[in-house]
Amino acid sequence: MIASIVDTHALLTVVWVSLLAGIGVTAAYGFAILGGVRALELGRSGRIGEAAMFAVVGVLGMATTVGAIVFGIVVLSD
Amino acid sequence: MEGELLTVIIVVATALAFDFTNGFHDTANVVATSISTRAMAPRIAVGYAAVLNFVGAFISLQVAATVASDVVDPGAISLLVVFGGLVGAIAWNLVTWYFGLPSSSSHALIGGIVGAMLVAEGPGAVFFGSGILGKVMIPALVAPTLAFVIGGAAILSLYRIVGRLRPGPVTQGFRGGQVISGGLLALAHGTNDAQKTMGVIALALVAYGSLPAADPSPPTWVIVSAATAIAAGTYAGGWRIIKTMGSRIHKMDSAQGFAAQGAGAAVILASSAGGFPLSTTHTISGAVIGSGAAKRLSAVRWGVAGNIVAAWILTLPAAAGIGALTYGITRLFGTGAVGPVIVSVLILIGSAMLFSRRARHGGPVAAAPSKA
Repeated sequence: MIASIVDTHALLTVVWVSLLAGIGVTAAYGFAILGGVRALELGRSGRIGEAAMFAVVGVLGMATTVGAIVFGIVVLSD
Repeated sequence: MEGELLTVIIVVATALAFDFTNGFHDTANVVATSISTRAMAPRIAVGYAAVLNFVGAFISLQVAATVASDVVDPGAISLLVVFGGLVGAIAWNLVTWYFGLPSSSSHALIGGIVGAMLVAEGPGAVFFGSGILGKVMIPALVAPTLAFVIGGAAILSLYRIVGRLRPGPVTQGFRGGQVISGGLLALAHGTNDAQKTMGVIALALVAYGSLPAADPSPPTWVIVSAATAIAAGTYAGGWRIIKTMGSRIHKMDSAQGFAAQGAGAAVILASSAGGFPLSTTHTISGAVIGSGAAKRLSAVRWGVAGNIVAAWILTLPAAAGIGALTYGITRLFGTGAVGPVIVSVLILIGSAMLFSRRARHGGPVAAAPSKA
């Protein structure tokens, strides 16, 4: 009954896309902050190797965040 | 024909006025979390949201298509039905604005149109199953619940990721993030809410005969004017609603604000792509409450959340009732422009009275002390 009324495919797409974007992008930004803050702290204390590793985490987190947002807007406007 | 032209002009003007009140009433919710966490100064946040609402209105037309084709039968629509629906939505928006309740402008609009259509053409002209239930009611339940879950899961994952860092730089980082997430939320709002007005104006143009009922896609001037109206409404105000959303539900830190805005934006953008005209207010409320409840259940002001739910339940039937009544009153004066002119004047007088009363007495919603 409900399945014949509701476009379940479209609704389920909304659910999984929202979950992925809502949790995934916020977590990616969390890693950007983690990487940035830890890289600065470790760099100040002279631990360059670890600082570089966290810097990579930060850059990847920020790249994922920005990339996902741009991708989402492009898909929406198509 | 001249009478019809005057009527369609009144209906389009009323639709744009609704869009303005939608911005005024609804869009402020978008910036509440940024202001509450001090990520942005209020005036900058409101201006920023206004610009991104304008931009968002151009991104997608799926929701406009749903409102124009899937809620009521476009072949049976008349200008007075559209006018009755708009008045129902505007009147309900004004009442809930006055009492500081973040109810849904979207549900008010759809309720108003359905109420007027029921009185005008009977239940056969309303798509209750696949339209109202499938495109409006079920997504209306799913979206806030989904936003609640995502808001909660997002903040828990953020606390796990950054929980051991010094709070100062983390707060700064999330305040910067809120510039992005707040912008996305405003953009998402434009994609969903401005399109509802476009859909309604498209219905009016179908009734007037300048758009085909089979393909009522809004023309460019409708898109531009709807985007402008919602952006202007956003900039004009909504401070009372900001107060309810931003701090009266619960006091947020910047990570929670970021998680709530990200969750709300994700659900609204995905729904816009699917053509679901959901309530942005309820979705954002769900995300805000979810991000608070995940941290500590007692941090949420459940009484305020309960008021939001009450407004949520009342909106569709109340707006439908006002829409039906408005249609009945305008029909007393025939099918020409006399009825809409009289009702428009009454609405303007009523709005002026509400605004002046608010200006004289201040808000009935007092600022509640924040709960840490």
